[in-house]
Amino acid sequence: MSKTRRFIIVLAVIGIAFAFLYPSLNWYFFTPKEDQAIAVGSREQIREYSRRMAFKDITELKRLAAAGDEKPLPSEFKDVVGVAAKLYKESRLAAPKVWTAKTVLTAFDNERAAYDAIEAKYRATVLAVKARHGNAVQLGLDLSGGMSVIIQADLEALSKKLGHTLSAAEREDAMKRGIEVLNNRIDTFGLTEPVIRRQGEDQIYVEIPGTADPERINSIIMGRGKLAFHIVDDEATARLETYLASNPLGVDEKSLKVADAGIVPAGSVIRKFYKKDSYGLDEFTGRYLVINEVPGLDGTHVQSAQVSSDPITGAPETNFVLDKQGGELFYALTSANVNKTLAVVLDDRIKAGARIQEPIRESVRMTGFGAEEANNLALILRTAALPIELSVVSQQAIGASLGEESIVQGRNAILVGILGVFVFMFLFYKGAGVNATIAQVLNLYLMLSILTAFKLTLTLPSIAGFVLTIGMAVDASVVIFERIKEEMAVGKSRKAAIDAGFHRAFWAIWDSNITTIIAALFLAQLGSGPIQGFAVSLAIGNMVSLFTALFVSRLIFDFGSDTLHRSHLSISWRIK
Amino acid sequence: MRVYKFSRGFIPAAIVSTALIVLGLVGYFTMGFNLGVDFQAGINQTVQLAYPALEVTYSGKGNAVLTVAEDKAFIVFSGAEIESRTVTLDYKSNATLGVLAAAFSAIPEVQAKVLDAEATASTLLVPTFQGDTRLGGAPVTMHRVPKDEAERFAPVAKVDAALKGLAEATVVNPAGQQRYLVRAQDKGTDKEFSRNTPAAIKAALEKEFGQGRVVVVKTDYVGARYSENLSRQALVLFLLTVLLILVYATIRFGFQYGFGAVLATVHDALIMICFVVWTRMEFNTSTIAALLTILGYSVNDTIVQFDRVREDRKMNPGDRFLDVVNRALSLTLGRTIITTLSTMITVLAIFFFTSGSLKDFALALFVGMISGTYSTLYIASGFVYWWEQKAEKRRAAALALEAAGGVAAAVKPKASEKKTGKQE
Repeated sequence: MSKTRRFIIVLAVIGIAFAFLYPSLNWYFFTPKEDQAIAVGSREQIREYSRRMAFKDITELKRLAAAGDEKPLPSEFKDVVGVAAKLYKESRLAAPKVWTAKTVLTAFDNERAAYDAIEAKYRATVLAVKARHGNAVQLGLDLSGGMSVIIQADLEALSKKLGHTLSAAEREDAMKRGIEVLNNRIDTFGLTEPVIRRQGEDQIYVEIPGTADPERINSIIMGRGKLAFHIVDDEATARLETYLASNPLGVDEKSLKVADAGIVPAGSVIRKFYKKDSYGLDEFTGRYLVINEVPGLDGTHVQSAQVSSDPITGAPETNFVLDKQGGELFYALTSANVNKTLAVVLDDRIKAGARIQEPIRESVRMTGFGAEEANNLALILRTAALPIELSVVSQQAIGASLGEESIVQGRNAILVGILGVFVFMFLFYKGAGVNATIAQVLNLYLMLSILTAFKLTLTLPSIAGFVLTIGMAVDASVVIFERIKEEMAVGKSRKAAIDAGFHRAFWAIWDSNITTIIAALFLAQLGSGPIQGFAVSLAIGNMVSLFTALFVSRLIFDFGSDTLHRSHLSISWRIK
Repeated sequence: MRVYKFSRGFIPAAIVSTALIVLGLVGYFTMGFNLGVDFQAGINQTVQLAYPALEVTYSGKGNAVLTVAEDKAFIVFSGAEIESRTVTLDYKSNATLGVLAAAFSAIPEVQAKVLDAEATASTLLVPTFQGDTRLGGAPVTMHRVPKDEAERFAPVAKVDAALKGLAEATVVNPAGQQRYLVRAQDKGTDKEFSRNTPAAIKAALEKEFGQGRVVVVKTDYVGARYSENLSRQALVLFLLTVLLILVYATIRFGFQYGFGAVLATVHDALIMICFVVWTRMEFNTSTIAALLTILGYSVNDTIVQFDRVREDRKMNPGDRFLDVVNRALSLTLGRTIITTLSTMITVLAIFFFTSGSLKDFALALFVGMISGTYSTLYIASGFVYWWEQKAEKRRAAALALEAAGGVAAAVKPKASEKKTGKQE
């Protein structure tokens, strides 16, 4: 292969690696902290933020327009002006010379349209930052601070309770219910979006970056998810809706209360209505309901729940059966509240609502939703009927400050490691030592890029893996250089010695690296976090070093002999 | 080039290694490992004792998140109703707690109260938070380290005594930050162990050292089921890795080489275990990582040398195997030393710049690397040499037998030569 072509390959590799590293650079160094703070929130929080921002902007624009303000809008309305300018362009109107509150507002059909457009703009901006975060290299909890918990679902206890061994479908269902319960509670606090995922057959992994208060983890895991049926106060709900029409942000996010005391009567509370989004996660619908604070019926009375379809219309429906005592209570409740709405509430979140058409006893049929919704509701009802015991298998909570410390430690270890190896290689190999160091720095750069590209997490052990890899990967260069020296000792020219050195060292390097990679890949299989991070960087580093030592170093040498026409090779202090 | 007679060391090396390994095994069977939290159900907490210095509250809208760093503190404001911004207060320009508190209170809707002497230097403040430091109506406390020797109030023995019957404490960093590692074992008697114990530890320490002076920096809990899984997994992985290396090296070099390489690596693992057992170093996931890393490292070393032996034998088929081995080892000696030293530089960098289990990890690696270099020179090649010698003897015996049987002696050596060629 010609040198030019090899050079282009090296450049291309560096370029691709940079493309992967770019989001990380952007996120960690060029994104302001306040933007980061919003972007790491859950989608629900982002939505709430956009709503509030849009409302604030609209109110301000309306005020300015009403006051007849003719001055150009201040720079904080830059985004809004952008949206308006686009609308002007779409309707082929000449954009006004000066963007005032009035000219901006006339771009929209009505207030609602303006509100929606501005909200969408805010949301898109935050989600773009969030996407950048997603593509940046992820810091492990030991570096960012935070908590992780592995939770065990006790399927055996459930099996005992049911009196038979669980089928695969039942296990699946039980795990889904466990995750449902956790999902429900975890989103209610904290500023960062938690990660909840199933791990293996019967475990659930929960991670909350940035926060490390073990008390909080306990509040999530404790209990089983409290399910209850509440009667909706339809009149108060209607009052609340009219109030919110003029005060879209009237409900306080934290306390779920409104300033106007006349809306919600004593003994009633405001709750949010949720539905599942396409990922199966809870999503706030934007609707609030006022419900009786005291539940009409406790969910523990539910015995079973399933989905069926209406024999005539084929519409999906959720059926559930109550125990005898529950049936009596439910009958009394429904008799007294015919034509009112019944809400299914799990841990203070309204999951479903249905109108009571007639008094009902044990066997209940709920209709009026899609197949997906009916399934979800049945699942939620079963969380009460078949609660699953959750216990902590392992838990880790690391303070953010400790994470900062670890980052500094890792950085210092890398710098000193590289510098040490560099000095050492220079002392031994002179010019060639510099070549080897270039290969190692490139190695480090490529390792980081690969780590990002595969969405692997950077932890302190993986940094240690990097440092160690640098020391070990020098081996490839050493093997080659020793060979070249031997060839030079028998009187070969620079070019011939380099050729022979690389050629003869190839298989030794290949075999020895493959065995190291085998060991590292196995290590990576070990389910535990710290070792995994370490092993992955070791494996990646070894593979990359094959490229940098065999390909890049060679290119640098060839560049010296062919392009710079060097006949002398600086590889030892003794060989002149 | 000088050829060193490495082969002279084969037998003494075998004796020394066997002695060390036996010593390690004796230690293992009499004392066992000093199992870390990964392998023993229980809680590991890092606790810092510090003086409460400032109390910060926030009564505004949106989110205000306080971060305390080594040399500055900053509040990140975000949310719809407030102006998104970051306010940074560094300790140098706000030299005393009084000045710093005033600077905090100057931020709209933020209030700060000094809990300590107003004139205390701000630089004594330390980041001690358990992460989420969202400001609100409930005060968030900032802590500071003792300003002199006299203020240091908790020697480790006292901490240990305060936790008597509950947990045991050791010092994490002796640099004077009053940070301790507290370990409590889960005996399986308390079902809510992971929840109750941290609270009990905190309560016991606060009782002894004063309210608000105990900050938990890190908590690890490992249940019995997790630790069981881990030990089993580690063993299986270790064996599988060894097997794979054996298979690969056998394919590439021949069985005696593969076995020699594996013998050398297992040797290194056992030497490291001897070290870990006798130094009472904590045996945890990092130790396993170190063991498995040395597995790869030592094999790497061995293979480079076998590669030389293989090449030399091809070039000089007539030479005695002993000479071939000595030559190969001498030729690669430079490389062995340089690689080992350069890796050691990086291991030392890890050792000196990190703390906790990574420090132990670096130390174990260090021992493993010395053992790895030594085993490559003496154990792996020694084994291959011993094997070849045996094969030689068998061949000679067979030859003698055949010669006695009156078969034409001239034909046979060629055939046996071919055989060795194949084995390479």
